[in-house]
Amino acid sequence: MAKVIHKNSKPLQVNPFKLSQPMGATLAFLGIDKCMPLMHGGQGCTSFTKVFFTRHFCEPIAIQTTAVTDAIAVLDGGDYSIVESVKNITNKVTPSLIGLHTTGLPETKGDDIAGVARQIEFPMVHVNTPDYEGGLESGWAKTCKAMIEQLVEPTEIVDDNKLVLLPHVSLQPIEVEKIKEFIESFGLNVFAVPDLSTSLDGHLGNKQAALSSGGISVDELRTLGDAGLVLTVGDSMQSCASSMQEKNTEMRHYHFAHLHGLEATDALVKVLLTETGFFGPPLTVSRWRRRLQDAMLDSHFSLGQTRFLVAAEPDQLSGLCQTLHDSGGRVTVAISTVDSTQLENLQAEQVMVGDLEDAELMADEYDVIIGNCHCEALAHRLGKGLVLRGFPNWEQVGNALKNDVLYEGGCYLLFEAANTAFAARNEVRHV
Amino acid sequence: MATKPKIKQLLDESACSHNKTKKVACNAPKPGATTGGCAFEGAQIALFPYADAAHLVHGPMTCLGTSWETRTTGTSWQGRDLTQAGFTTDVSLNDVVFSGEEKLAKAIAYIIQHYSPEALFVYATCVTALIGDDIDLICKRAAEKYDVPMIPVHAPGFVGSKNLGSRLGGEAVLAHLIGTKEPEETTPFDINLIGEYNVTGDMWQYTPLLEELGIRVLSTLSGDGRVAQIRTAHRAKLNVIVCAKSLISLTRKMEERYGIPSISLSFYGKRDTSKGILAIAEALDDTALVDRARKLVAREEDKLEEKLAPYRAFFKGKKAVLNTGGNKTWSIAAALQDLGIEVVATAVKKATEDDREKARQTLGEKGVLMMNPGAEQARLIDETGADLLLAGGRSLYTAIKKGIAFADVNQEKKKSYGGYDGLLNLAEDLKNAMQNPVFRNVARRAPWQK
Repeated sequence: MAKVIHKNSKPLQVNPFKLSQPMGATLAFLGIDKCMPLMHGGQGCTSFTKVFFTRHFCEPIAIQTTAVTDAIAVLDGGDYSIVESVKNITNKVTPSLIGLHTTGLPETKGDDIAGVARQIEFPMVHVNTPDYEGGLESGWAKTCKAMIEQLVEPTEIVDDNKLVLLPHVSLQPIEVEKIKEFIESFGLNVFAVPDLSTSLDGHLGNKQAALSSGGISVDELRTLGDAGLVLTVGDSMQSCASSMQEKNTEMRHYHFAHLHGLEATDALVKVLLTETGFFGPPLTVSRWRRRLQDAMLDSHFSLGQTRFLVAAEPDQLSGLCQTLHDSGGRVTVAISTVDSTQLENLQAEQVMVGDLEDAELMADEYDVIIGNCHCEALAHRLGKGLVLRGFPNWEQVGNALKNDVLYEGGCYLLFEAANTAFAARNEVRHV
Repeated sequence: MATKPKIKQLLDESACSHNKTKKVACNAPKPGATTGGCAFEGAQIALFPYADAAHLVHGPMTCLGTSWETRTTGTSWQGRDLTQAGFTTDVSLNDVVFSGEEKLAKAIAYIIQHYSPEALFVYATCVTALIGDDIDLICKRAAEKYDVPMIPVHAPGFVGSKNLGSRLGGEAVLAHLIGTKEPEETTPFDINLIGEYNVTGDMWQYTPLLEELGIRVLSTLSGDGRVAQIRTAHRAKLNVIVCAKSLISLTRKMEERYGIPSISLSFYGKRDTSKGILAIAEALDDTALVDRARKLVAREEDKLEEKLAPYRAFFKGKKAVLNTGGNKTWSIAAALQDLGIEVVATAVKKATEDDREKARQTLGEKGVLMMNPGAEQARLIDETGADLLLAGGRSLYTAIKKGIAFADVNQEKKKSYGGYDGLLNLAEDLKNAMQNPVFRNVARRAPWQK
């Protein structure tokens, strides 16, 4: 197995691609219909986060801030700014839910947001997401867990046709939709929490919405307790499943480290066949499996001579590495934003928690980079090929519709990686 | 703590015209009803373009993780472009509990060793300001140890708005850099460009013209800036504030301290660019220079007019509604007028008193100043028969419903609209927008719609 460095020894991050917990929390709340994420902190955290996701999705992002100032920070335990915020938000719009999440500032002074939320008579979910702990994945996962714990009603009824899908943060809207449809094609009703596939999928609405414009509804969320099945994708989401099972002990849980590539998708099909009693998969599923097999063969020649650096959030990292590896791509360096249980099992030669300076220092060891748009300057400086994946991608449009998962998405990912590697080799030859 | 600027004084800037009429200068943000960036972002905007300096953000991941590499800020610096690099201590729970000072000192050492910057800016953020990390002391010690200027920047997000942060950034430069070094030579025509950040290379649209006139840009705050140059800024003959109100306290103090007068101008559009160049020449008080400037301006305007002719023919009779904020309310309006587009309305909701006055002058008596653009713009498009809406993304729906062209003025700019040549870029982009059938096409009714 690979050599794994779980902790970076540097006293700083240089050219970081790590992102913060509150940002993951914001995104999770944007997967709830008509929600207003409310970030508790200085106004800048919210403003930065809003611009960050607006540029990635090319969509307006609903979010508000409690706008804590230095004077308030000293005097207020959060009561004033949160209560005022809710008042000011509901003066203008009527959200189905306010998603209260913290940043480092109120956590440092120890605001009791659960206590404040209890005083407020408005549907709220609260979650502690200081940005000096964890990262994007944990912020998203904690928020998902908080939504389950605070909203889903316990029940003893079990609906075996109902499945709750808990996707990790790096899955783009179309990927969530494809997984939902894939499972639905086996006759199950699927509810994703959070569900970006109908909110940030880049659809033209009737007007500019002041709240999140799609996602799972709060009513649907409340009644998820009767689901017979819960499916987690990504290790960061695993503990959310136990929160679901606390609502209904009969619920059965299946976990997938990722849903990239042949083997993982096969494993999902197997579960679905067992659970539904189907004798075989729907026609389109078997068709896409054959296409993926063909795509793997078509791309193997280029991939087989290419060394990759993959820089991503751990749950996405594991899927990307596996897909490349299965068709002969050598992931010589895998860099994760944060530590994770995924790191020990990655299909990569070296695995580390780090930043893009680390990537730069290992420039001799790879030909093609897979990572977010901060890798572009790096790829340019070093003359490497680049496949843009992960948050943020400010360089391209269409991010919400990029699909890497299951049999179908695997084809697209492999072709893009193989073509990029081919072009990068040509580039080097011509210089 | 002596280096920390007095925020109250910065907010009470006597050089701001609105402070003659209004008691509270910059209002506290309203919880749950606030947009716009924080002081840290303002400081970052003002200082990051110093590409020869490193910029270390002492805080948790949100501050830098969301913000580095967000602006296409040009630099001619030949070394590693540190404007597009990100350094942060990424403080952890452990640092919050036991102080982040040791980590900060180590981070500074790391940057000095690996990147040898000309100077190092160290930014406090909400969390590290709250836990009381003494960045002044750490910077002082490090400056002595490494003999590299260290500039503590006290603009944590929670002290206020982006605008205030830019002022605080300016204060840090004044306290720690300006006047710390003598220039090798001085000329009678040395100027500082203040508040020009060279986003998309805006500054390079007009600096060659200044050079041609014999005007030397001694230093900038901070477009295409060098720390070595801003240290000599006290020897300039004139401070030129470019399209920004935020650094007015800095120029007032430089006037008091070093006797440097200042003028405020914009380089957007033909008329403003010409006026700007002439104003600089006049302020430098040299008849021969003013004469040269007049000739140059005339030459450049002729050159531009020739290139603009086909665009003017295209824009003839076209009307636009502008919905933006700040100095854009009038500077873009003026540029549109230079292209021959009639600006029938501009939003002034998010503009200072000064900007509103300028907007009124620019649009004339007939033009509408929208105080509530969200509600007014659709009606105004109908009433005036406007052909183009220039606004932020959220107004796109209005344009589609009205079936007119749309241009996003708040989008991150990819190319410069500044100076004479920038006007050609703007003309080309607006022509493309107006000719684009996309706004009509996406408004097509679906076959199943009644």
